[in-house]
Amino acid sequence: MSKEDTMEPQMKRWKGSACHAHSWVAYPVLSDEQSQDVELVEAFAVPIVDKKVTSRLVRELNSLYPLDGLQHIKRVRARKDRDSPHPLEVLVCLASEAPEVKEVTINSLLPPEAVGREGLGEPFTVKVPARPPLTRPQFELASRHWPTSFHEDKQVTVALRGELFSPLQKAAMHTYMMSAVTAARAGRESGMEAVGAVMVDPVTDRIVAVGHDCRGDHPLHHAVMVCIDLVARSQGGGCYSFDGYTACRFTSPEWNTADSEESSQPYICTGYDLYVTREPCVMCAMALVHSRIGRVFYGTASADGALGTRLKIHTQRDLNHRFEVYRGVSRTECEELYSSDTEKDHF
Amino acid sequence: GLFLQARDALENGEVPVGCLLVYKNEIVGKGRNEVNETKNATRHAEMVSLDQLLDWCRRGDLDVRSVCERTVLYVTVEPCIMCAAALRLLNIPLVVYGCRNERFGGCGSVLDVSSADLPRTGTAFKCVPGHRAEEAVEMLKTFYKQENPNAPKPKTRKD
Ligand SMILES: [Zn+2]
Ligand SMILES: [Zn+2]
Repeated sequence: MSKEDTMEPQMKRWKGSACHAHSWVAYPVLSDEQSQDVELVEAFAVPIVDKKVTSRLVRELNSLYPLDGLQHIKRVRARKDRDSPHPLEVLVCLASEAPEVKEVTINSLLPPEAVGREGLGEPFTVKVPARPPLTRPQFELASRHWPTSFHEDKQVTVALRGELFSPLQKAAMHTYMMSAVTAARAGRESGMEAVGAVMVDPVTDRIVAVGHDCRGDHPLHHAVMVCIDLVARSQGGGCYSFDGYTACRFTSPEWNTADSEESSQPYICTGYDLYVTREPCVMCAMALVHSRIGRVFYGTASADGALGTRLKIHTQRDLNHRFEVYRGVSRTECEELYSSDTEKDHF
Repeated sequence: GLFLQARDALENGEVPVGCLLVYKNEIVGKGRNEVNETKNATRHAEMVSLDQLLDWCRRGDLDVRSVCERTVLYVTVEPCIMCAAALRLLNIPLVVYGCRNERFGGCGSVLDVSSADLPRTGTAFKCVPGHRAEEAVEMLKTFYKQENPNAPKPKTRKD
C-alpha cells in the first residue's frame, strides 16, 4: 500500500473507482479524407439587394451554372451582420467555370438572356469548400467560408471529442491493455521486444488470447502475429507452439454446443477486439485485415506504424475489410514500455 | 515446383498460390496457402515458405540475414500487403511473381509496400511480374468456380 493510500483513504473512496485514474483518452484514427483540412475553391457570388428575386434567381442560376459536384454547397447565404447593405448573397459559379471572365462584373457573369439582373449588387470573389465535410470539425471549418450541408455521423463526432467510451468501458479497456502490458514485460524479460497483444471477444467479454513479441526466435513473430496464431489454436488450428512462454496463452471460446450452428462458431478473429501496446507495423496491420478483426486499440504510435502513423490500412480503399482503430488507450503504461531508459531502439 | 504447390493448394480447397525460395540454385523453402487447415488467415504461401527457409538456416547453422539477402522468391500471385512487408522485414531482395493481386496486392496493385519509404520495415525489394501469369490466373479462376458454382463473380477471399 502506498503512502498516499494510507494517508488519504477518504479521498480515494470519494473519487470512486470508475472515474479514478483513467486520464487517457481513446481517440479514433480516422481516414485521411476525414482528418484532412478543408480544401477551398474560388467562386463568384453576388449580393441580393431585393429579397423578392431570390427564388427566380436560384432557378435561373441552377440551369446556367448547375454547380456539379458541389451538392453540399448551399446556393444562398444570409448576411448575419445587421449593418450589411443587403440581406442575402447567392453563389453564381466556380471561378474555374468562367475562365474567360477577366473582370468580374455582372455583365460578364450573367448573360441578360439567361438571368434577370434586377435586384442584384456587384459580384465578388469568395472561397467555398471543395468537398462535403465528413466530420463535425470539418463542417465547422467549412461553414466559416460558405454554408455547407453535413450528414453527421454522430459516433464519429462523439469519438473525436474523446467521449465515445463510458468510464466503465474505459475501466474494462484499461484492464485488457494492462494484460497486454504485462505480456510485453514478460516478453522483454525473455529477451524480446516489449510488445504485448490481447485478443478479446467483446460479445462475451472474454480474453481469447494473450501474446507477446517473440522475434528473438522468429523475425516475423511480432506480438500481433503471435496473438493471431494463438487465436487459431483456440479454435483447434494454429501452427506454432509458444508453450515455452507462459505469458503467451489462449482460452478456447465457449459456444453453445447444443445448437452448434455454423454461424455461432468463431471464425478466425471475426468481430474480436485487439489491444496492443504499440501501433502495429504493415505486416501485422494487414494480418488483422485478413483475420477480419473487429476493432483495434493501441497505446502508443510507432515510427512505421500502419494504423495511423505511416499508413491507415484499416481505412485503405480497395480492401474488402475495414475496421475501427483507437489510439491512446492506457497511454502512460504503454509509453513507459518504450521510454529511453527501458529500451533504446524499439524496432 | 511452383505450380505444383499451387495445384496442391487447389486440391485441398485453399486459394491456389504456390511459392518457392531459391538460394544459390537450391530450393530452401516452398509452400502454398494453408489458411483453412490452420484457421490462421496469415498462412499464405510466402509465410509458409519463409518458415521453411528459417528452419533450413537453423539446421545448417547459417545466418538468416545473409541467406535472405541472396534469396529469390518465386510466387504465382503478387504478394499481398502483409507478405510484402514480411519480405521486407527479412530483407529478401527480389520477387518474381505471376499475376497481379487486385484485392490485396502489396507490390503496386493496392499499395506499393515493396518500394515504399518505410525505413523501420526492413529493405525495399525488386519485383519482376508476369512469370507464367496466364497459368496463375487460370488456377485462381478454377478455384473460384468450384468454390461458388452459382455466382458469376465470386466474393470469396483470395490471397
Ligand atoms: Zn508487426
Ligand atoms: Zn500474403
